[in-house]
Amino acid sequence: MATLIVMDHTGDTRTYFDAKDAQALANAEVQFRKLAARGFTAAVRNETGEVTRVRSFDPNAEEILFFPRLVGG
Amino acid sequence: MFSFRRPAGAGNLRAHSLRQLYRKFLSENTREARGQRLLRDWLTPEQRRQLEANGYFEVTGCDSGKRYRIYRGRMTNVYEMDDLGSPRKGWCFVPFGFLAVGDVMLAQKIALETSEDAALAVANRFVPKNGLPSGHP
Repeated sequence: MATLIVMDHTGDTRTYFDAKDAQALANAEVQFRKLAARGFTAAVRNETGEVTRVRSFDPNAEEILFFPRLVGG
Repeated sequence: MFSFRRPAGAGNLRAHSLRQLYRKFLSENTREARGQRLLRDWLTPEQRRQLEANGYFEVTGCDSGKRYRIYRGRMTNVYEMDDLGSPRKGWCFVPFGFLAVGDVMLAQKIALETSEDAALAVANRFVPKNGLPSGHP
């Protein structure tokens, strides 16, 4: 199952979906776009821990992590 | 014939074990515990080793190649390091909203490794005083 992980005040909220299900994939892409529009950054990682920022929905990604926009501390 | 009666006190022991298991579940599912697990999952093996040994891990800025050290914490926990391993300056930037410590550190890592200039553009600079944090809570 593919996963969207969104950092929030609860720790993180996860949405699991079957990447082979076209409707579930479409829903995941909609969620991706909504979060991106709200300023969230999306990232994926490979097996060695190397991370990459993604600016468009990747239907092949096992896991996509989102964190809110950055502000000065 | 075998007797399947529970020995005296077995009910209490079972209840005690269940309570312990429940407490363990709760403690491992606080937002801070979840944040730490997520952070560990997304670190490289070397970063994970550094964090466990020293209470910090290092990342390389994607735009400048500079080395940054991220200590446990939500604020004033990111240090730009020089070649000799001394802190050159501190950077304070966090994801918006009150996130768990592990989540903040993970966001800082990803930001520096994928969008360093953009992260530092919103960051506040601070002067490291009294050396570096101990790295341990």
